[in-house]
Amino acid sequence: MVYRDLREFLEVLEAEKQLIKIKDEVMPEPDLSAIGRSAPNMDSAPAVLVEKVKGYKNSVVLNVHGSWQNHALMLNLPKDTPVKDQFFKLKELWDKYPIKPVWIDKKDAPVKEVVIDTGINLFEVLPLFRINEFDAGFYLSKALIVTRNPNHPDSYDEQNCGMYRIQVKGKDKVAIQPMPFHDIAVHLKNAEEKNERLPIAICLGNDPVLSFMASTPIAYVQSEYDFAGALKGEPVELTKAENSNLDIPARSEIVLEGYIEPRVREIEGPFGEFPGSYSGARLQPIIKITKITHRKNPIFENLYIGMPWTEVDYLVALNTSIPLYEQLKRDFPEVEAVNAMYTHGIGAIVSTKSRFGGYGKAVAMRLLSTPHGMSYTKIVIIVDEFVDPFDLKQVMWALTTRVRPDKDVFKIPCAPGMPLDPSSEPAGIHTKLVIDATTPVAPDFGRDCELLGTPVDAEKWSEILRNLVKEGGNK
Amino acid sequence: MKCPRCDSELVSVMVKSPVGDAWEVYLCDTCKFSWRSTEGDNITDPEQYDKRFKLNPAEFNTFDQIPPIPKLLKK
Repeated sequence: MVYRDLREFLEVLEAEKQLIKIKDEVMPEPDLSAIGRSAPNMDSAPAVLVEKVKGYKNSVVLNVHGSWQNHALMLNLPKDTPVKDQFFKLKELWDKYPIKPVWIDKKDAPVKEVVIDTGINLFEVLPLFRINEFDAGFYLSKALIVTRNPNHPDSYDEQNCGMYRIQVKGKDKVAIQPMPFHDIAVHLKNAEEKNERLPIAICLGNDPVLSFMASTPIAYVQSEYDFAGALKGEPVELTKAENSNLDIPARSEIVLEGYIEPRVREIEGPFGEFPGSYSGARLQPIIKITKITHRKNPIFENLYIGMPWTEVDYLVALNTSIPLYEQLKRDFPEVEAVNAMYTHGIGAIVSTKSRFGGYGKAVAMRLLSTPHGMSYTKIVIIVDEFVDPFDLKQVMWALTTRVRPDKDVFKIPCAPGMPLDPSSEPAGIHTKLVIDATTPVAPDFGRDCELLGTPVDAEKWSEILRNLVKEGGNK
Repeated sequence: MKCPRCDSELVSVMVKSPVGDAWEVYLCDTCKFSWRSTEGDNITDPEQYDKRFKLNPAEFNTFDQIPPIPKLLKK
């Protein structure tokens, strides 16, 4: 890859005109969240580096993943690569799993350039700010969080890197939200059953592929670091944490180390969440921060979450789609592509050939029984293999011309649901909706109809027209 | 000073700005709400804080635990 960490990726973005730098001082509120909201609304949707924030020492970067252009550059593709092509490139890289990391000595790890172990004050290092108006406080919304299973502390495979929201509650105290179905909840449960502290590392400002993998629903014993290596085509560099056996990215900007207090729950939230609404306040675990290590002049990377689409929607788009695709493809080889990028897979569209009548419905039910689809996915649309599930115009064509609501639409009541979806009631329970928009095949049947074709030479003319546009018209 | 969100008077200064005398951040010890002195009245003024987001400390023990605390293993 052409970049090894966040800093080097920002250089790539700048060279590709996908980075804006703000040199004038801004206020933490409301400027930073307003910038985070505005950037993904732009056509180019660049990352934004804010160099000076009133009252703080360090810079902030927002919207690093917040466009298809930035997403393509993360995958080393030209920035105008279509989404479906990015999906298949990601699939190709995915299959290179695992590429194991390399460990570098602490003294050579950039993230250890500065070590703070007394007088911890998060505000000295992090330019913290309120993300949405009624958030309970200042949040870390883009942290790669590392824990191990205390019952198997030497197990690298069970080590988890996930992205969970973190509320700052003091100079050296934060709160975390581990949902019961998240891998970290397994580690916490094992620690709390023994009334033990759970060591934790909160890594900020990472190689974009690492943040991407921390947001990806992979299997419990699969390693996010090994996947990141696969996506990069070379090992990521790790080093050891100061206070525990945890493996942390050697090139992160900032790492907060500490432990989850066992058997303690304290009020946390509300927080503006990815479905575009606030979660309620709940009782959640707290973390004591005991050490901070960081690079010189660290860059604080955070994520604005707003009404979709904002950066988070790009961060959990194709990496939600690929695991579902892999799980479906194993048993249903006719599946062509999966687009599960609507609100972290609450909505999903699958394109597939139909081997026999009713096949689309079977594919939908399989999706709803995958580990991620089971709790997150509420609405599934199945389309024919020649429909691009990433092109909503084509999907709407399939819905309007292929669906017979009397036989192609069904519901599954009282199934597992995603608690943060405000329509999940009680929280954690959904009724699933399946719409089979595939063309009927035997023994099912529909009226005979033949599809329109594409004029000969359409592809040639598409290229001619594209080139004319690039050249500024046929002068 | 009162907490804008739950009206508790158990409020402390969490931190002062690391650079200059730019702002202070306050923390409510009752509902753990935090806010900055430079934020608008919609955040800092208990009278103007949106009523839909006000919290009543008497209800805190009815909130869900995420995740639930497991039983201790017998030694």
